[in-house]
Amino acid sequence: MGFILTFLARRLAQGLLIILVVSFAIFALVRMAPGDPARTILGGMASDELVEATAKEMGLRDPILVQYGRYLTGLLQGDLGNSYIKTESGGAAMANQDQGVSSRASVTTLIANTLPYTLQLAGLALLLTLVISIPIGIAGGVHAGRWQDKFAVYLSSIFVSLPNFWFAIVLALVVTARLGWIPSIGYQNFAYTILPAIVIAVEMSPIFIRSLSVSVADTLRQTFVEVAAVRGLGPRKILYGHVLRNAAVPILNLFGVQVGALLGGVLIVEYIFDYPGIGLLTVQAVTQRDFPVIQGVAILSSAIFVVVNILVDLAAARIDPRLES
Amino acid sequence: MSISSIVAPSRRSFLKTSAVGAAALTLPAPFIKRAYGQAKKTMVFASGEPVTGNWDPTSHTVLAQINLEGFVFGQLFRTPMRSDNPTEIVWELATGQKILDLHTIEYTLRDGVTFHDGKKFGAEDVKATFEYASQPTRPAAWYPGPCEVEVVDDLTVRVHTKVGNYPAAAFYFLAGFLPIMSAKDIADQATLQARPNGTGPFKFAEQRGNTTVLKAFDGFMHGKPILDEVQFAYIGDATTRVLALMSGEIDVTERLEPEQYETLESESKVKLSRTIATENKYLHFRCDKPPFDNPILRQAAAAAIDREQVLAVMGAAGHASNNYISPVKFGYVDLENYPAYDPAKCQELLSQAGFPNGQGLPEMEYTTSTGFYPKTKEYGEVIAAMLQEQGFPIKFTVMETAAWGARLYQQAGQPSHAAMTDCGWSTGSPEPDLVLRSMFYGKAGPKGGLINGIQDADIDAALNAEQAEPDPEKRAGLIGQATGVIADKVPSLSLFTSVLLHGYRTELEGLYFFPNGPIDAVKAEFKA
Repeated sequence: MGFILTFLARRLAQGLLIILVVSFAIFALVRMAPGDPARTILGGMASDELVEATAKEMGLRDPILVQYGRYLTGLLQGDLGNSYIKTESGGAAMANQDQGVSSRASVTTLIANTLPYTLQLAGLALLLTLVISIPIGIAGGVHAGRWQDKFAVYLSSIFVSLPNFWFAIVLALVVTARLGWIPSIGYQNFAYTILPAIVIAVEMSPIFIRSLSVSVADTLRQTFVEVAAVRGLGPRKILYGHVLRNAAVPILNLFGVQVGALLGGVLIVEYIFDYPGIGLLTVQAVTQRDFPVIQGVAILSSAIFVVVNILVDLAAARIDPRLES
Repeated sequence: MSISSIVAPSRRSFLKTSAVGAAALTLPAPFIKRAYGQAKKTMVFASGEPVTGNWDPTSHTVLAQINLEGFVFGQLFRTPMRSDNPTEIVWELATGQKILDLHTIEYTLRDGVTFHDGKKFGAEDVKATFEYASQPTRPAAWYPGPCEVEVVDDLTVRVHTKVGNYPAAAFYFLAGFLPIMSAKDIADQATLQARPNGTGPFKFAEQRGNTTVLKAFDGFMHGKPILDEVQFAYIGDATTRVLALMSGEIDVTERLEPEQYETLESESKVKLSRTIATENKYLHFRCDKPPFDNPILRQAAAAAIDREQVLAVMGAAGHASNNYISPVKFGYVDLENYPAYDPAKCQELLSQAGFPNGQGLPEMEYTTSTGFYPKTKEYGEVIAAMLQEQGFPIKFTVMETAAWGARLYQQAGQPSHAAMTDCGWSTGSPEPDLVLRSMFYGKAGPKGGLINGIQDADIDAALNAEQAEPDPEKRAGLIGQATGVIADKVPSLSLFTSVLLHGYRTELEGLYFFPNGPIDAVKAEFKA
């Protein structure tokens, strides 16, 4: 218990530092990008006076540290600021000189509205990844050098060679447009999550399959496995109780790292399938230079990354108590 | 039993399982809805651009929202702008117009029309709309200047333009583009901005994320539309829009890429529409600074560009034209003096300007956007290569739309960005001044033309002369003269006229695509 509390305190402190660094880096970088956000909001035809007045109203002319301090104060209260572009009514306020600052949507609300869709997509993608990777990866590791292993290698090679944007378009074209089996453009019910999840799963599976194969094969060569049968343990007990348990730790760590890839995959896939999650929100924010939304999503992503990795470390320590030391 | 026997099936059992799995895939799962699930009284339109969220039509110049307003707001009349009859007028809220004198135009209004909120339409709504929307402070500067409206009776108004010092004839075609708002809404800005309220065939129901939902208006002046509902959905990616169309998730899409248009020609589930647009695409020379403040250099650059090659890149999305206005605009003629590709003349002009073979010219940046207009990057590369071939030291820069848009217009007190930039100009009326005065009039913006920054007394005089002429026939001739003067000075080069490429479901009939983007769906219906 003492270990867990110490561990949590240390990792949470590290995590907060990471989020702080990420938030400042993103905050500074988006402000170094050429172009005035006030001009973007008001449109090219707006007068300089109006642009200046709006920029001052939004605090965009204050020193960057003052702006960041203000942002951080809001962040601590759960306020990620307001979108430059999105309005409360759901439209985009770009190039609209009448749009009051007060009518711009809260970033927290925008994220809260889209996050459940992305979590649903990421959850299903992860489930599919595990359903594909675990049997194939374990079989490949147990039968190193045989057809199961070759199958795992070939399948991984094929999957890793499929660019996600291309695969997404082909899948939507064939499965949705040509065959009419599964709808996939936009979102009306759960079925719209399936094809995007398959694309992400295909993108993530190769690394899990290969890692699992290698990890299982390595564990099988360990002395404690070789002598397990002599100790009178049955094959099931050896596989599930010893081999997989030991092979699980590197896979868990890999999962922690792959969360970043999962979030990256979601961006492209949601945009192509017009899936109304964080990814689509982010791509639209980038194309419209909606800096507060970009900052909010970056901070959320880093927070997810930090939390997932803390959970992964806790789980790994639970599986292999040696890690507690 | 060994470990391997627990986790690994035999090759035979693996193949059997794979075969069963593949067979199962051919059967749609019972919980999955078929892709063709849209109710056939609902038309889903996919827009390539979002709406603004502020429903005051005078607050923006966003094409997507103008398209949406076409469903919701009524106008005094519509102008279908067919290329064989660009000046046709179809009366809507007005039943006629008459120019009474240089500064007065009279409209007689239709009786028995109501707004979506139940308010009766009348003269006070036209008065409120014209006087509010023509204020110079309104961001959507569609009006030529301020005006005053006299209410003669409930169904007659007279628009007086003396206060703005421009001829009333300016409204002759322009009024077919101006959405008419309710006087009650104009008096209450919060309500005006909160939801659109017009007299059009569809009324606003709700905003659902990126989708605006419109319902058929029972009290529409020409009878309730056949469709029950129109959903106006923003889908940013062109490929996604096409996939959604092919799968039946949407029924109509705009802004097809030329390659998509050609691919869809063989698609049985989709029909295509090709409409010559009101939009011309221009290469604007920044005339507010060297080197293109020199008209000889502009003429040389224009002579270096073979527009046939540009059109070849555009494919179905481009239409050849030889004027600064589209062929569907009032007053269009093929100009005899329009700049033509002539490398020898280009070299002659370069020498005359003091830069033989381009020697001594500074680096010239040519900026364009990607993702908004079709093929800008591709034909931009062709133009840059042609200019380089003649000795222009061109630096070609492709920018994402927001960055390009932020640098597009001339701003007071600062030099314009780059030496050349690419932009289109689309307006919803046959009225040519909406283009000519915005792009080429010396007082259009803080430094002249809104983008090129041209200030030229000859162009201004020619534009003032055509605007002041109340007789449409004589005015058409003067427009030809004015565009001829612009062609001599070449502040910009109109490369081609855009073509609107729409795709829609085969079973959908009765749509009319206006050349500026909006769609008439009053008679639209799905047929088996």
